[in-house]
Amino acid sequence: MLRPYSPRLLLLLPTVTYRTVAFVEAARRLGVDVTVASERPSTFERANPTGLVTLDFADPAHAAAQARAFAYAHPLHGIVAVDDDTSVVAAAIAQELGLRGNSVAAVAAARDKHQQRQLLAAAGVAVPRFELRTIAADPERLAHGAYYPCVLKPLRLSASRGVVRANDPPGFVAAFRRIQAILEQPELAECGEWARHVLVEEFVPGREVAVEGLVTRGSLQVLALFDKPDPLDGPFFEETIYVTPSRLARTAQQEIAACAQAAVRALGLREGPIHAEVRHNDRGAWLIELAARPIGGRCSGALRFESGETGNGRRDTSLEELIIRHALGMELPTLEREHQASGVMMIPVPGAGVLREVRGVDAAQAVPLVEEVVITMHHGQMLVPWPEGSRYPGFIFARGETSEAVEAALRAAHARLEFLTEPAD
Amino acid sequence: MSAEVRITAEPIDNGRCKFLVSEPVHAGGVRRFASPDEAQGSPLAQAIFAIPGADVSEVIVSGNLVTVVKRSPAPWPAVGKAVGQAIRAALAAGQPAVASKPAAAGSATADDALYERVADLFDSQVNPMVARHGGRVELIDVQDAVVMVRMAGGCQGCGMADVTLRQGIEAMLQQHVPEVKGIVDITDHTAGSNPYFAAAKK
Repeated sequence: MLRPYSPRLLLLLPTVTYRTVAFVEAARRLGVDVTVASERPSTFERANPTGLVTLDFADPAHAAAQARAFAYAHPLHGIVAVDDDTSVVAAAIAQELGLRGNSVAAVAAARDKHQQRQLLAAAGVAVPRFELRTIAADPERLAHGAYYPCVLKPLRLSASRGVVRANDPPGFVAAFRRIQAILEQPELAECGEWARHVLVEEFVPGREVAVEGLVTRGSLQVLALFDKPDPLDGPFFEETIYVTPSRLARTAQQEIAACAQAAVRALGLREGPIHAEVRHNDRGAWLIELAARPIGGRCSGALRFESGETGNGRRDTSLEELIIRHALGMELPTLEREHQASGVMMIPVPGAGVLREVRGVDAAQAVPLVEEVVITMHHGQMLVPWPEGSRYPGFIFARGETSEAVEAALRAAHARLEFLTEPAD
Repeated sequence: MSAEVRITAEPIDNGRCKFLVSEPVHAGGVRRFASPDEAQGSPLAQAIFAIPGADVSEVIVSGNLVTVVKRSPAPWPAVGKAVGQAIRAALAAGQPAVASKPAAAGSATADDALYERVADLFDSQVNPMVARHGGRVELIDVQDAVVMVRMAGGCQGCGMADVTLRQGIEAMLQQHVPEVKGIVDITDHTAGSNPYFAAAKK
């Protein structure tokens, strides 16, 4: 009997991502065939040459050529990337194979904070004043010409790693040297020209929100607007709580959505998920960063969409299912987020050290409205605080009738957790 | 039994969730229950099948892990709390939460035959492959043509464990033992102390 037609998705999964289960299981639920591409070979690649392939994620053009060779034998119908680096690879492959996606130029511009700033500023999108500096420069000299308060950041690191606020020249010098030390670490120093620069930009006061969206033919559909109720005023910018729906006034939300749409247009993004950080103050909405990828880590678990009408009745749809459907050109259900308020806490790093034990998970889980407490770090692993670190020890999820109740539940659950660490050797 | 039984829920998707319990729930290997009838004599499985509105279709108990599969769209937070209560009540009752596996008969005989073939595949092909990454996959049981595995070594807690399971092991089973209807990973991936690829980003 002939097997029913099933489209094949190329899923770009770096070996160190948290996103594997969410995307692989979403593809299974949708009944699409999947080829998982990673930067390192799976031991099963020979046994399952249709389902597994190794691509050179460090060289998008090479990866595109490899994907073309693969697609001769195994036709591909869509491609999904899960993070910043693979989004550039996905764009190169989409261009090469004529799949739905963005141009390499657009995604590369989104990937680089300086290029992004330049394009947004040129298009009239509100962004902080910025200057590009080389890490070989003398910070004492640079400090005298800077405006304060300002924020110093590497051009490509994710999760606010290496992002530091400075309020005066001594603070600037200290921040600069700290970032210098991060970028001089061997695994980053060899990453290319971007790792030899620092972006210095004006600090924008105001409430920060995260915009999760899906772009179709250049038009942005906002899927969720997350409040970040903990002030992100520095000196470091480790994220904690995301709660949706936003409690900002409707006009402020409209300004934020318009700002994100303007940024999408300015960067030339045409298709796929975006995740943007936007600040809002009495002067309006300011685009802080926009990435051509979905929300990171486990945070997508905070999003569910009331859209799945199946043979077995109504069911929720995950963000990953929406992204896969979009990539394959499958019919998209309505993109309405569930009725309930929802939130996630990226559990703050309690301090530097080797993780030995986490206590109170059961108590945290028992807090009303809390759905899940996930400890993602393994015992024996190093906890590294920001700005050098970029990895949270875990995540807490909650749902409830109001954003206020969800936020309170997340804080109550977090208060019950106790991390036992010991100093590193 | 200690005073506090800690249970951590680990949803795989909206239909399937693993519950890691701080104490052993069933020490006699793996038990899989595919219907309330099969759960007769096993108080924990009976209680889970009886959770109102959950429409539970499958319960798998092994050591400290209870895996629950449901058909209802009810979110895991609501169902999970009822599962937690059922586990605590079963452990507090002072009698086995799950009955021992009955003697082989009918489908169990077919499962035994499948077990042999799957075990052979694991020995000859699957484990030599995962061993290259310091991993190991243990065949725990075959029940009603569903294969239950536990991942260890470099596979336990590995960021790519689900790829290994779905694109590797499941694909090989489909090719070599097509009678297998499914595969269930009963690994506690949060306990992995030496994963080959620990997830490293936020």
